[in-house]
Amino acid sequence: MPRFFQRRPVRIIGIALIVAVLLIASLALGSLKHYSPQNYIQLILDGLRAGSIYALMAMGFVVVYSVTGIINFAQGEFVMLGAMICLSVDAMNLPLSPALKMIAAIAAGVLLTTGIGILMERLTIYPARRSSAVTLIIITIGVTITLRAAALLIWGADPHVLPAFTTLALEDRIFRFGGVMIQAQSLWIWATLAVILILLYVFLQRTLIGKALRACAVNRRAAQLMGINPSRMSMLAFALAAALGAVGGIVLGPVTRPIYDMGVMLGLRGFVAAIIGGLVSVPGVVVGGLLLGVIENLAAGVTDPAFKSVVSFIILIAILLLRPQGILGGGEKSTEEL
Amino acid sequence: MIQKQINDQGGILGPDDIRHPVTIVIYDDKTSNDDTVSNVNRLISEDGVVAIVSGTSSGASVAEIPICTENLIPCISMASAASITHDSKTNTEFKWMFKTPQTNGHAGQWQADYLKAKGVTNICILYTNDGYGKDSLANYKAAAEADGLRDIFDSSYAATDTEFSAQLAGVQASGCKAVEIGSTPPVASLVTVAVRNAMPNLIITSGHGICNQSYITTAGQAAEGVVFPCGKITVIDQLADTDLQKPVLQKYITDYTAFTDGEAISTFGGHAWDGLTMIVQALGSLKDGMALADQRAAVRDYLETKIVNWPGISGVFNMSATDHNGLTKDSLLFVKVQGGKWVAFPQKDW
Repeated sequence: MPRFFQRRPVRIIGIALIVAVLLIASLALGSLKHYSPQNYIQLILDGLRAGSIYALMAMGFVVVYSVTGIINFAQGEFVMLGAMICLSVDAMNLPLSPALKMIAAIAAGVLLTTGIGILMERLTIYPARRSSAVTLIIITIGVTITLRAAALLIWGADPHVLPAFTTLALEDRIFRFGGVMIQAQSLWIWATLAVILILLYVFLQRTLIGKALRACAVNRRAAQLMGINPSRMSMLAFALAAALGAVGGIVLGPVTRPIYDMGVMLGLRGFVAAIIGGLVSVPGVVVGGLLLGVIENLAAGVTDPAFKSVVSFIILIAILLLRPQGILGGGEKSTEEL
Repeated sequence: MIQKQINDQGGILGPDDIRHPVTIVIYDDKTSNDDTVSNVNRLISEDGVVAIVSGTSSGASVAEIPICTENLIPCISMASAASITHDSKTNTEFKWMFKTPQTNGHAGQWQADYLKAKGVTNICILYTNDGYGKDSLANYKAAAEADGLRDIFDSSYAATDTEFSAQLAGVQASGCKAVEIGSTPPVASLVTVAVRNAMPNLIITSGHGICNQSYITTAGQAAEGVVFPCGKITVIDQLADTDLQKPVLQKYITDYTAFTDGEAISTFGGHAWDGLTMIVQALGSLKDGMALADQRAAVRDYLETKIVNWPGISGVFNMSATDHNGLTKDSLLFVKVQGGKWVAFPQKDW
């Protein structure tokens, strides 16, 4: 089956068939619930919003995996830390206007989380850098549990409130077009994803240090021979992943209510998105994240919401069985591109 | 606390006018079914108690039914599910089981009555996918049907969910005019916000699981106008002075605060207080020198027949052979969120 699926025309027809069957099935199920077109649009929009966050998370997975070969399970905790630090700074009594305070809070959230990412790499990954990848992955799970427990001690078990960017208040501005609702925060989320994509592209393609990072991803040994320090690149990868996670958590914060264990489900979803994208290509995982968000939301909408997580894990298993290199990757070659 | 109060007076006053000291044995069940069962066994066989107040969760309370029944010992549960005292197979009450909290049936009745008064016919129910939520769904549905309302869409979510667009799409497509929410905070707050954002004109009602200030704090503006019934202890400042329970509640709050050095009052303490106070009162009716088994039977009969028009913390109890809870929906006060607080919302204002 996998080999059969390697052949391009077969693959395209196969995927198109699956998509068509699923679409017809979901329309049929939706009509049972009397869904109007607005309902579908709403589900897709909300799915795209969640998917953008998955995409930001998946980029974090990709950056760390490409450079170090590790799946960093603490990625979800970076999201939680970003949101939590941001809302704590925002709640402080600073002599700033609300807008400036929000900007300061966002900066603090991103910078401090990045710092935690660097610390994590230096304190837990660097000392064990000669161990096998499995050991390192288990270390990241340990860090995850530690960070979550620390967050529970610091922020308690109750959800917190991060003000919406547009109104700087608990209540967000909401746009309504003929039965479809968009929160202003969704626009912030999409804009953030776009800006991050551009910045990441410029960083990886146009700056020396970005090129060094890519070189390390392509071939660590060769990069080392060219005078690139892989341990420094590993640190940089963790810093980048932490910053990406923090940004995701901060823009997502106002839509939900940040809570100490929000990283668990987000981390898993981000991982699924990264797998869909093949774990190595940034554009691939962005598409993967958005796809996952939409599919998950539509499937939950037309069937039972209880199936939402089931759907993402079915996708995960299906991808791992049929296309371990990701649905967008072009075969073996793609495993060495960032 | 109760043991100290009683024994400070020298014990319970028996019919023979002699005071008998009381010992209350306390074990922690850690809200675990296993621990509850072993504690109850221990109380019966090792401690030889006359009656038991046990079971803080519905699951644990159901687990102790066979033990209490086989050992012929009266047990009073502090959990809400109707199945704790009611045997649906024979449609009778379990002989040895009692319970003191208000049920989700009462909460469902309040919401259904309110929505009926508002002229709503089609409702949606959203609930957490756990014991409380499922019991809420069943009871809200039954209460709604009894009032001639139709539940045209119901859907659940996990207590950790933050994204509800799938559930809301169903609510929107069904065209119902009101949503009943069967959840506890924090997820109850998130659902409220999501419903308000998507459909600002929908009426939102909820069960008594959200009678907690954190519900309003987390939901913010979205909580405004949400109506729900509350245990009276959480809304004592909203009670009319004629309320039978008011003096009992005030005394309990004063005593409890003094005894625990100002710990927060919770409804659970109230459920336990009701059960213990009933038992203590029942013990007062016992004659001297009765065998343990006779004492247990006498306490049970007392609970079933003598707890009538009995104001407690959780409500005014009227126990009977067909009702081992003894509360009506009036044990809960209907409130509305207004200006970030709950305000009494009596039927005449609907």
